[in-house]
Amino acid sequence: MAGATPGAQSAGRSPGPPEPPNERPPFLLDFFPLEDATQTRLSRFFDELRLGRLMTTRCPKDQSLSWPPRVVCPSCHSEEMEWVELPKGGSVYAFSAVLAGAPLGMESEVPFVVGLVDLDGVPLRLFGRIVGKSWEACRLGMSVAAEPFELPDGRVFYRFRTEP
Amino acid sequence: MSERREVALVGGATTRFGLRAATWPELAQEAGAALFRAIPALQSAEVDSLFVGAAEPERFAFQSHVAPLAAEQMGLTPRRILQRTELACASGQSAIRSAYAAIASGLSDIAVAVGVEKMNLPSMAEANTSMACVMDRPWDGAHGATAPPFFAMVAQRHMHEHGTTAEQMAAVSAKNHRFANTNPNAQFHEKVFSKEKLLRLPLVAPPLRLGDCSSMTDGAAAVLLTAAEFAGRYTDTPAWIRGSGQYSDFHNLANAGSLTEWAGMRRAAEEAFRSARITVNDLDLAELHDCFSISEIVEYEALGLCPKGAGGAFAADGSSDLGGKIVVNPRGGLLGCGHPLGATGVAQAVEVFDQFAHRVPPARQVPDPNWALVHNLSGSANVHSMMVYQRGG
Ligand SMILES: [Zn+2]
Repeated sequence: MAGATPGAQSAGRSPGPPEPPNERPPFLLDFFPLEDATQTRLSRFFDELRLGRLMTTRCPKDQSLSWPPRVVCPSCHSEEMEWVELPKGGSVYAFSAVLAGAPLGMESEVPFVVGLVDLDGVPLRLFGRIVGKSWEACRLGMSVAAEPFELPDGRVFYRFRTEP
Repeated sequence: MSERREVALVGGATTRFGLRAATWPELAQEAGAALFRAIPALQSAEVDSLFVGAAEPERFAFQSHVAPLAAEQMGLTPRRILQRTELACASGQSAIRSAYAAIASGLSDIAVAVGVEKMNLPSMAEANTSMACVMDRPWDGAHGATAPPFFAMVAQRHMHEHGTTAEQMAAVSAKNHRFANTNPNAQFHEKVFSKEKLLRLPLVAPPLRLGDCSSMTDGAAAVLLTAAEFAGRYTDTPAWIRGSGQYSDFHNLANAGSLTEWAGMRRAAEEAFRSARITVNDLDLAELHDCFSISEIVEYEALGLCPKGAGGAFAADGSSDLGGKIVVNPRGGLLGCGHPLGATGVAQAVEVFDQFAHRVPPARQVPDPNWALVHNLSGSANVHSMMVYQRGG
């Protein structure tokens, strides 16, 4: 095989701390974003999310908010995007539930609720999982709040929780 | 710019659609055989170009570089243009549109457009994973978004805003399944689905039930397109491509705007009708992208066949059935035929040709059709692609 596998132990490399158990699926069956600063310039989203802040990018020139976060403004093509914190609260514009046909790795989570959430006070409608109520108990317009949660492999992602 | 050449669709054929004991290459072979059977005058050396509609062979068949693969399987040796087109659920129409553009511009004279998709895998969870990749994978797919929950939200909003009912959605599905019973290549050719039966099927993504959703399907279809001067070699009843339109205004679900407007479809339709110099009222039949029953309802409205919000009633009162204002999806639709992503748009065009040539069974023959529309949406309705055909001969 030509070329060394990146990350593989090789002679001359000092052994680092033990690798965490690899609970990730093969890369091309893994849904969740790479959160690693060596792979994306948007890794701050995940660092902030871990601290409880939901962030996105805004163009300082035309003030346009983007979702998902971006490195270039789609309106004026400025590359000077700035990070801003988003409100976590919102109301449900539409929702459904996956009762069958879940992707690999999500089969055990069925049934799960997904929806589009209008964030309070900003012109953004985010898609995400909704937890806290069964789909039968969810209603259009109900209040939810974004929250971070940890994946089994230690990465972090966001979802919405219904108000009690 | 030099003058655009007129382009004719001069014939086509589909394989059997369904859960097939057939690989991607085997489906391509079958499509080639079906095409040459359907057009006896066709010699493979005459085909100068091949366009291959395939949405996700990398995921469903673990195979890239499928254009030369398809050419080899079909017994073709293209010498001018060979390319794959990928536009998820519209990959097949994209192949036809590319062939149309190539012939209209003079780069090709005689071209085949083929669509192939293999979707049923030993692991359906892996297949569902592939479907989630059509969405913005790390931001939407990661939450578990595939097509059913998205179109379920469309249905929920349409019910909320316009009072559309589960019975009206079942009317769409029952019509298309009834037409599929006349189509031996349809996935559900032999299964009878009454409205009552459809309403008893299990929920997949509420409010959508199993019968509101098109299925994972293996299948292929191929058509032959030529410049005007060659059309008479192959048929007396060419289907002339008179117009086309396409529009895309978002990808991530956050940027969809109104789930019930489908503004992009209105824009695509305006361009399709403008370029064909007709209005929606000139259409005799339409192959609309009924990936879900609710899709067809929103599409009636976006095309202007009925007022906004009246799509459910348009389905339920027979306006889109034989004898109605327009016949929608006489082939059986995606609901009745199944939806092999790359093949669907090509199979719809085959139906238009066969309708114009009066080659379909009487139970679905549109009386004396002259104008037809083929529409595909792709992904979460974030692209709309349309072509307008006129009967010649
Ligand atoms: Zn900007």
